[in-house]
Amino acid sequence: MNERVAIIGVGVMAARPSSEHLSFKEMMFEAAQKAYADAGIDAHEVESFVTCAEDLTEGISIFDEYTPDQLGAVQKPMHTLTQDGLYGIADAVMQLRSGLVGLVVVEAHSKHSNLENPNSILNYALDPVYNRPLDFNPHVIAGLEMNGFLHATGITQAQCAQVVAKNRTHALKNIAAAYPMNLRAEDVQSSPYLCYPLRDAEMAKSADGCVVVVLAGASRAQPSKSRPVWIRGVGFTNDSPTLESRDWIDAQYIRAAAAMAYGQAGIKDPVAEIDLFEVDDAYAYKELQHLVALGIYPQAVAAGRAVENGESGAAGKMPVNVSGGSLGIGHTLEASGLYRLAEIVCQLRGEAGPRQLPRAKVGLAQSWRGVPTTSGAVVILGR
Amino acid sequence: MAGTQLRHIAKWRGEIPIESLYTAGIGGQRFFKALKEKGKLVGTRCRRCHQVFVPSRQFCERCFVELTEEVRAQPDGVIKSFSYAYIDHNGGRLKHPVASALVQLEGATTVMLHRLLEVKDLSRVSIGSRVKAVIKPKGKRIGSILDIEGFRLVE
Repeated sequence: MNERVAIIGVGVMAARPSSEHLSFKEMMFEAAQKAYADAGIDAHEVESFVTCAEDLTEGISIFDEYTPDQLGAVQKPMHTLTQDGLYGIADAVMQLRSGLVGLVVVEAHSKHSNLENPNSILNYALDPVYNRPLDFNPHVIAGLEMNGFLHATGITQAQCAQVVAKNRTHALKNIAAAYPMNLRAEDVQSSPYLCYPLRDAEMAKSADGCVVVVLAGASRAQPSKSRPVWIRGVGFTNDSPTLESRDWIDAQYIRAAAAMAYGQAGIKDPVAEIDLFEVDDAYAYKELQHLVALGIYPQAVAAGRAVENGESGAAGKMPVNVSGGSLGIGHTLEASGLYRLAEIVCQLRGEAGPRQLPRAKVGLAQSWRGVPTTSGAVVILGR
Repeated sequence: MAGTQLRHIAKWRGEIPIESLYTAGIGGQRFFKALKEKGKLVGTRCRRCHQVFVPSRQFCERCFVELTEEVRAQPDGVIKSFSYAYIDHNGGRLKHPVASALVQLEGATTVMLHRLLEVKDLSRVSIGSRVKAVIKPKGKRIGSILDIEGFRLVE
């Protein structure tokens, strides 16, 4: 009981704008095969499975009925969370720490290119009595939040544009990224407005992809062929989702999730104790808002200055989204958090190739479920 | 479900038609009744945390207690944030942007999301601008959030 938990295998499909030659089951099969090979295990050894998906974006009702075959999960315990993949990691950690199972697999994917009306589907997430009748595009919520956030913090539109330039430039070194681009902030600022002050180029474009992660209790994680990366802390919370009474400035769901994760990891000073951050950047301003909520910048305005002066770049003293983030890799629905996590695992193992950071002992992955939600998760990993 | 074959044998089109009824509840009906019958904006006040929810609700999400004290908010308020959407609800580009705002009404501690009406000059709007709710005439009110047409800037 309560033994430590490690990630012993990760399988990542390269994110791509579309994937029409593959079914979602084949994508899962590919990522699962990679993950099991990476962990040095056979599918039959896995004792429990968690998939993360949302029926309406799958275009299938009761999606959890569609997941066992392609993971090797037939006649095994499995369930689906309608949440981002990092919630699946939290779920797996709890299962392993209970002592009931010793080997758990977590999966999430995106088949976004199959959605013909993604904005309308997102609209179904708005309150049907108070908000949906207004017939706004749901990205308006991001525009409203960004405007209030910039006004309250003094962070500028140019600094948000710099986040896009940084992350998409980072993605040039990531073979799994769908949207690598050598960009400057000025290029981003010439992009048209989507929902003022949010520009079109500041919203992560969608991509298809799949990630499978294998987790084990300490007794299973020791064999020399696995390179265990230890889970030091996990947190997940929701703020009030209600538009009328939520906090529109501070990402309190991340502040609370981070407090949980820091507490478990014994982290007192995240800036000094964490080497790299992979945080949600579904919209450029969100990276800055999430870093503030993670307690990295006691004064929010410093988050804007840090991206401007390169501190949060790959060569900076506190690298953020070296993978390219969702802006560079592409937004992969519920798999977004697992792409963040996969990068931390890769960096901590020293397997990040051209984008390998010189110091990568402790890393933090953070996810947000997108508008209109206030769901967020934080996972801290250590070597 | 009938499928339409696309691109040889790679993709099939299908759809899920979903229709639902949504209930406003005890808290919501209180708001919509006052709006429809009297053109007033009512909320409920939490006696523990003093949050004033407008529209009214049956319970406080923070204190987890029933809300029984009804309060009336004024149609006047202040913009807490605003945006201009250049895309329609399905992502199509709009020729003329649609303005929206989060407004805190006088007497409320929460905000309301609604349209910002008759915004010709975008530079005239800022966070902190004063606005007034425009409520439809009685004969046109049906007990919906759209009985409020939106907010108009106050000079």
